[in-house]
Amino acid sequence: MDRGQIGILPRPTSLSDESYLEFVTSFRKFAIQRGFPALATIGEAALGEALENGEVARPAEGKEIPLFDIKRVFAKIPLVPTWQRFVRSQQEMMWRRTRESFMHNADQTMRDMAAAEASHPERIHVDPDFVPPEYTRCEIHCQPGGYTDDPLGGLVFHYGTKIFYEGANDQDELHAELAEKTTLPADDRVERILDIGCSIGQATTVLKDLHPSAEVWGLDVGLPMIRYAHMRAVQRDKNVHFKQALAEETGFADGHFDLVLSYILFHEVPVKKMSDIVAEMFRILRPGGTFSIFEFPNNDKGQVTPSYRFMIDYDSKNNCEPYSPGFVQSDFRGILETAGFVVEAGPPVSNPFLQSLVATKPAT
Amino acid sequence: MNEANKTFDVPQSLGNEIGGSGRVYFENVVIDNLIDALLELSAAVWTHHDRVLVLEKVLAAKDIDVSAEIEMHVPDDVEIAARAAERDDYVQRIFGSFIRRPTGDLPGRQTQSEEGI
Repeated sequence: MDRGQIGILPRPTSLSDESYLEFVTSFRKFAIQRGFPALATIGEAALGEALENGEVARPAEGKEIPLFDIKRVFAKIPLVPTWQRFVRSQQEMMWRRTRESFMHNADQTMRDMAAAEASHPERIHVDPDFVPPEYTRCEIHCQPGGYTDDPLGGLVFHYGTKIFYEGANDQDELHAELAEKTTLPADDRVERILDIGCSIGQATTVLKDLHPSAEVWGLDVGLPMIRYAHMRAVQRDKNVHFKQALAEETGFADGHFDLVLSYILFHEVPVKKMSDIVAEMFRILRPGGTFSIFEFPNNDKGQVTPSYRFMIDYDSKNNCEPYSPGFVQSDFRGILETAGFVVEAGPPVSNPFLQSLVATKPAT
Repeated sequence: MNEANKTFDVPQSLGNEIGGSGRVYFENVVIDNLIDALLELSAAVWTHHDRVLVLEKVLAAKDIDVSAEIEMHVPDDVEIAARAAERDDYVQRIFGSFIRRPTGDLPGRQTQSEEGI
């Protein structure tokens, strides 16, 4: 049965699935919005006591408490394994039931994507010889098949991330905010825009709405992501291009874009690839072009609290985020500057966890 | 798209992360299993509650009071078998975690002690 849409979001194929997944959403809100602050408060108080009584050595000036010590202290709190179990089980319930539900309409979804490709083949760009490298094929966030290996992955990602965002992004509201806060070049000339690591194109289409005369591209390594993104864009009459490629090897010409946006891409790649991607973005931006980045925080100035360091470590090991600790520990801003960018703080966004940076390619 | 006429087979199930024995967070794996069971049970209770809420709305809109008829309903053999199959699936969903992780000695163990802290 086709149960229609929730605005621009697909509706699960049965009321039972929808009710189950709404329960998972409420449980996630409880675990993240109430459980984690409680864990952080108790954990940081325990860490304070451990520093006071010498159980944990005070770090030297400018140094941080080792993660090992944070985990050792946090491990004594009964809420910790409970919270870890809660969050992992919630992720498993979310992906399992989301995929089960949309599998009932899988044939129709495949037909819809093929129909979009038949109607607008000029807007989807795939190299038939492209093979996603192994580092891109892990099941990030525990999504079955990850970004690359489930033909139904775009649709599963769309509803799964509705739950991840706890209902705050049902109509792409968060992506719209990021697109609106993307910093324009100083000369305001915007003819070509790239959304790098675009997944299902939620920000890509908003960028087109904001810059209707510009040529707008979304690029992602996952074919299931860009096929679904393309279908969504065609169905909503958004004239944007989607390309399957690596962010470090985009295939675009030097100086091709005026503006590039990335949202939570860099913590999902190894540090070496991160440097390669930054160099590629520098290459394909024209002089004076801007690169807006909304991303996990870095710990290069010790600004990430012990409880967040604990949570990021947990998330890395239990939510299939193998590269995020490397990103958090990296000197990301330094990597951008080494590539040649002039880096400034970008506009703050409503999610206070994210850092916002604007990297500008010097005009001369 | 330059992969004209390519077809995509969607596997019925996949996912190494959410498959298999999964992760263990407690020294006693039974606590992991109990929490999974509690979560599935809570989801199932909510799902049924939600359905009854919708059912009441639909019936009320049609001026139909079926309370007495529901109490008097006698299922036939086909319905009995179908409901039994659904009930078995319900039990598996709630209590399956105890079978999924019968012991704590599994590759997915992530306890703090085995991380050496």
